[in-house]
Formats: sequence, C-alpha cells, structure tokens
Amino acid sequence: MRAVRKVVMAEDQVKTVLKMIVNGDPVEVAVDPTWTLLRVIREELILTGTKEGCGIGDCGACTVLLDGKPVNSCLVLALQAEGKEVRTIEGLGTEENLDPLQESFIEYGAVQCGFCTPGMLISARALLDKNPHPTTEEIKLAISGNLCRCTGYVKIIQAIQKAAQPGQ
Amino acid sequence: MQSYEYYAPRSLPDALEYLAAKAGDCRIIAGGTDLIPALRKGDIHPACLLNILEIAAAGGISETEETVRIGATATFNDLADSGLIRKEFPLLAEMALSVGGPQTRNRGTIGGNIASAAPASDGLPVLMSLDAELELSSRRGNRSLPLAEAIAKAWTPAWAADEMITAIKINKLPPGTRTKFYKLARRKALARSRMTISLILRRNPEGVIEDLRFVPGSVMPVARRMREIEKLLSGKVPTDELLDQSVRAVGEEMVKVTGIRWSTRYKKPVLGNLFRIVLRQLITAG
Repeated sequence: MRAVRKVVMAEDQVKTVLKMIVNGDPVEVAVDPTWTLLRVIREELILTGTKEGCGIGDCGACTVLLDGKPVNSCLVLALQAEGKEVRTIEGLGTEENLDPLQESFIEYGAVQCGFCTPGMLISARALLDKNPHPTTEEIKLAISGNLCRCTGYVKIIQAIQKAAQPGQ
Repeated sequence: MQSYEYYAPRSLPDALEYLAAKAGDCRIIAGGTDLIPALRKGDIHPACLLNILEIAAAGGISETEETVRIGATATFNDLADSGLIRKEFPLLAEMALSVGGPQTRNRGTIGGNIASAAPASDGLPVLMSLDAELELSSRRGNRSLPLAEAIAKAWTPAWAADEMITAIKINKLPPGTRTKFYKLARRKALARSRMTISLILRRNPEGVIEDLRFVPGSVMPVARRMREIEKLLSGKVPTDELLDQSVRAVGEEMVKVTGIRWSTRYKKPVLGNLFRIVLRQLITAG
C-alpha cells in the first residue's frame, strides 16, 4: 500500500517537513535535520526492505535509487532528498508481479539470508536500466558496492546475467 | 547526533552570505560521504550545515579552448563518465572510477575530497599532478589559488572559513602527453588507497622526456609533486640504469618528507618499484 503519509510535528521537537516522491507517490514527513534518508525510509515510512548494514556507506545494504542513481541512503541526510525521487526495494515489482531480477534471483538461488538482497537488486536494476546487456565485468562493477557474506556472489552475477537476456 | 541548523540554498550568493554570517560555526556538506560518518561518530559538532548540492554554479564540467573547469560538486561518477575528462585527463577519470563503490561515487564530490584534505585522498594527488587551481568564492569576492598552496597540512585547508571551493580549473595538456593513475589497495573496490601513483609523461620523437610529473599518494601527509625525481629524469632518455636509479631515489625522497615510520619498510621499496612499473607502462603504451 502506498499512501501519502503525513506526520504531525510534536510541539517540543524542532522538525522540518520533508517533501519527496517515494516509489512514485508524494510523501510529506516531519524530520529532524540529523536524520538520514535511511532512517526516514525505515522508521517514518515503515519501508523496512532497505537495511542498515554498517551505517557508514561501506556495505550497500541501504542502497536506494535517488533520482534514478544508486546511493547509500545512510549517507544522504533526509533533508537532502527534498523534492527528489526515491525508489526502494518495495518499489521494484509487487508480490503478484515480481521484477525480472527478483524472478531470476529466486531461480538461481542468489538469496541466502536475504540481508544484502534489497541493495543488490536496486544496484542491479540501476545497471539494467542504463545498460540492458552488461558484460560480466560490468555486472561485477555495478554490484561492487554491495557486500554479501553468504553467497560468494557467483549466483547473484548469474541471476543478473539471466535477467539481462533479451526476452526477459 | 547533536542537532544543527540546516540550509540548502539554490543560489551561490545566498550560500556565501550564510557562510559569512555563521563565521566558522558552519560546515559545508555536499555528498556527505566523509561528513556524515564524522557527524555520527561525534568527531564534529557544527552549529550549522550548509548543503551546496543544489547550487548550479558549483557544479558541471565545461571547457574552453585551453582549460577545463570542474564544478566543486561534480561527483566521482560525473568525472568517470565524462567524455571530456576521459579525453583531456585520462588519469583523472581512472582515479574517479577507483574511489569507493558505485553508490559513494554517485554522491562523493571532487570538492569535498579536496576540502577533507585526507592523506589517503585520491583526488588530491591527481589534481596536484595536473597543477590544478581552485576557484574560491566568498562574500568578499572570488580568487584563484593553486592547489599546491591550498592544503596547509593533513586535514587542514588553507583557505578561510567564509570561503568555499566553487570550481577546479586545469590547463589542458599538450598533444602527445600520456597520463596514468595506479591505485594499490587491499580490495578492488570499497578500499582506502594504500599507495597511489599519478604520472604524466611527454617525450619527444627521440624518446627524450620533455615533461614528467609524478605525485605519489597516501605516502605523505599532503600530496605534492616529487620534483627531485622529475628533475632526475627530465631531458633524458629513460634507460634501465636511469630507472634503477630513480627507484632508489623515489624511496629516499619519500623518507625525507615522512621520516621513518612503521610503514616505511613496506612503502619505501614498493613506492619506488611501482613508480618504475607505471612509468614503463607509459613509455611502452601504444
């Protein structure tokens, strides 16, 4: 469900209203200037698909698309997203209608614990949007900012290759 | 995290007015890839944060007949993807592609990399080798400052608190000039540089070195051209004997600046050998 969400400012807290577009829907949320985009996504918008792995931009678990580009949302202040478009993993396909990448990740067994998976899918989606037929090296480069401790990456790369085939 | 006042102007005059008014209590934020972790750790407690990413005048990459202007808020991916940068300064594009990972390259800016003045900065050595100049702006006016004079010491810019970098200006290189950036790090991505080599070379048709610029990175508090090595090799044909000599000299020059540190046993021979490897690549490149 993607409703417009409005949060009323508590009287004793100095907050600013942030307006942005999240997964295609306009959103207004009161934020503290110290909050990161990651915190707002997870704890104000309750879109918990995006994960916090390290909080300092070293793992990619928090990857979202900001105006179409993959970024670590832990390194974006919420207020820096004012007026911009954000796409999270919840905006990539639906339960009834998975994104081709999600289909191929399942088919190839590219998910184990699943913690890196939202960030991986977002980075892969950004790659295929820009370069529909990437080489293996281009795939590796595209996910080089996403760490996975479970799979050893091979199946992730194969899944992205599969999703990139014509007709997918 | 301690709170702060946050301001994100669209116009440069508004930003400069704010910087002047806040008199040193203000930190500039662009990509935030260095600043946000520092804020989280509590290393810094600014009263104000000025976001300069929305200022069009501080961005963009453009050229004139003789120079290239790179906006302070150009990201590493802007540099890596730019046909103009790849053509005019290949080593700058190579460096940009080696920093962090795709996500941080979409946010981290060249201006921020300069202003952080970290010893392990990758942007500073490359820009030093290109004799870059900073365009600094404040409410008091604009001025140019050679990058070689812009970093007082590690982590410490030499410009005033009410000034901000708006652009980096680099003169185009003469035809026939080759460039290379090499990064030595523990991983292929998401890795801080252990050591970098920035090299610019031009030889005449007889193979004599006409121009050599060499900046080692991550081996000194502040990156600078190793002019002693440049002088050793300039005006000469780079024979094997001369290169052997330069390998020793490079290590010795580094130690003259840094003194003996715990890392010297490793860095002294490696820096010299890497210098030779990269120089040889530039000499034999097609």
